[in-house]
Amino acid sequence: METEEDRPRRELRVTRRTLIKAAGAASAVLGLSGLGLCGYQAGKDPDSYTGCEGLQGAAQSFDRKRFAVDEPHYEKVGPTRRADGRTEVIFSRVDVARSAAQMGKRIEDLDEPFRGYYEQHPEDFELDKQNSELRRKVAEDSPENRNRYILAEAWADAMGAVSPRPIGNEPPEISDFPGQMSRSPFKMKSPAATAKLIKKVSYEFGTVLIGITKLNHDWVYKYPSSRRGFAMNEPIKVPKHWEYAIVVGTPMSWDPMYANPNYGTSNDAYSKSRIVAFRLVSFIKRLGYAARPHTPGNSYDLMVPPIMVDAGLGEQGRHSIVITPELGCNFRPAVVTTNLPMSTDKPIAFGVQDFCKNCKICAEQCPSGAISKADKEVIRGYKRYRLHSSKCFNFWNSNHGSTGCRVCIAACPYTRKSNWVHKTALQVTANDPTGISDKLLAGMQKRFYPGPKPSDFYAATLGGKNASYREPPWWLKTEDFIEL
Amino acid sequence: MGFFESSFFWFIEGLFACLAIIALRTWTQDKGIRMPFWKWPVVIVWVLFLAISIAYIGTSIGEGEMDAAFFGAIFAAVIASISGVVVWRLLRMR
Ligand code: SF4
Ligand code: SF4
Repeated sequence: METEEDRPRRELRVTRRTLIKAAGAASAVLGLSGLGLCGYQAGKDPDSYTGCEGLQGAAQSFDRKRFAVDEPHYEKVGPTRRADGRTEVIFSRVDVARSAAQMGKRIEDLDEPFRGYYEQHPEDFELDKQNSELRRKVAEDSPENRNRYILAEAWADAMGAVSPRPIGNEPPEISDFPGQMSRSPFKMKSPAATAKLIKKVSYEFGTVLIGITKLNHDWVYKYPSSRRGFAMNEPIKVPKHWEYAIVVGTPMSWDPMYANPNYGTSNDAYSKSRIVAFRLVSFIKRLGYAARPHTPGNSYDLMVPPIMVDAGLGEQGRHSIVITPELGCNFRPAVVTTNLPMSTDKPIAFGVQDFCKNCKICAEQCPSGAISKADKEVIRGYKRYRLHSSKCFNFWNSNHGSTGCRVCIAACPYTRKSNWVHKTALQVTANDPTGISDKLLAGMQKRFYPGPKPSDFYAATLGGKNASYREPPWWLKTEDFIEL
Repeated sequence: MGFFESSFFWFIEGLFACLAIIALRTWTQDKGIRMPFWKWPVVIVWVLFLAISIAYIGTSIGEGEMDAAFFGAIFAAVIASISGVVVWRLLRMR
């Protein structure tokens, strides 16, 4: 039987249990709120700006060995053909069409090889002729619209302001080799050690991604896209010393990239990758070996995306850009060809081919309709998605800001911040053999991360709304800094 | 390094989790709910789902992806409510 003395003790016991329950409930609320705030911080943190979160190799963190395959994903179907750098690279042919438009020339009035190309691709001739006119229409936009991009344009120019000297016009047999004064090549201890050394110094030079492969000659232009020691009308005989290809890549600044097409620029990553490549060339030449930079800004003798695939940096996506596990497609690459013996990397397969099959977000967001929604086609003997470069380039001339577009890069689900949400999604798609998660995540991307209507990306004078994929960063909003 | 990335933050989270588990045990005892071994993982999975959903909403807001936060919240609320009822019924089972 309960005595008077027991009563306060029982009350105390009840109070302690209540206290425990109250503290537990409060802890649950606080703990869950803490996770919400922690998530908020993870989303906002500039450390999650993909590729910029760590240099010295820290950003190349994906476990590629687990996804290494013996053969790259592109399928060789029948005889292959090397690309003609004079006509199949839009920047090489577009001036011919522009001047044809000014002078009222028809395809049959053009010189070879352009006549041959445009006879086979008359649609490209019509599209390529339009871009001066498009630029003129953009310039007719109201001063209020045009001036909004003053800071973005200044920033893009500044990012491209530092550039190594071009390599000149000596043939590769001269320009790629160390000068007369240098020693004969040092004997390297082993290809594996050399590859390790080259990767380490490249990180020190500022690269974020690096891969090494043997150069497949199918990726070298049949005819050059710019002189660089080659005669424009003679086929390139691939020099013997272009034995290996080292590919480096650096990311474009995150916030402007996400506000493409009119606030971003490729100049920042172009510039960084170019500098890394030239440093690497200098380093390799000091060891007595041949080296040649192939760098962004139309100074290539070869096609870079398939070399990146061979070097195990990623897989080529529907939009033709290589998708890497770390940076998605937010990067600009450069290549160094060399005869320095190195061990090579294997291609990787981390699920991009399956994901692209049903995703198609880039094709749906592309303002110009350049990205194919159809299946892969056989192009120059290889199966891949078609990209209509004339349509793409016309859109480059249809918006404000620095040159270009890059909406497909911003919209691609693989180009996401380096935080737990997107890293988890990457691991799920990479490791799910059923394909269920591909469909689920692509569906979620479309619903959860929608972009503007593709036609809204055009300048107002071309029927658009000058839209960007996402809001520009505060420091590129001209109206907040300059009296207009 | 900010507070939310620090080890101290995770230490506090761990402390909160322990307190919440002790409180859950006390509460179930007071309510006369039996908690055999299999019921604990059910509750923990439900709470983990809630925790990940809240963190996802926070991350999306931090990224400035308001659509993702909004749809994520609706999706999580619906799933958490439905599964919450199921979990509650399982808990009440003898
Ligand atoms: S850069 Fe723009 S126009 Fe070109 S393919 Fe990508 S989204 Fe389309
Ligand atoms: S947006 Fe989708 S379809 Fe396009 S490249 Fe990226 S993953 Fe592939």
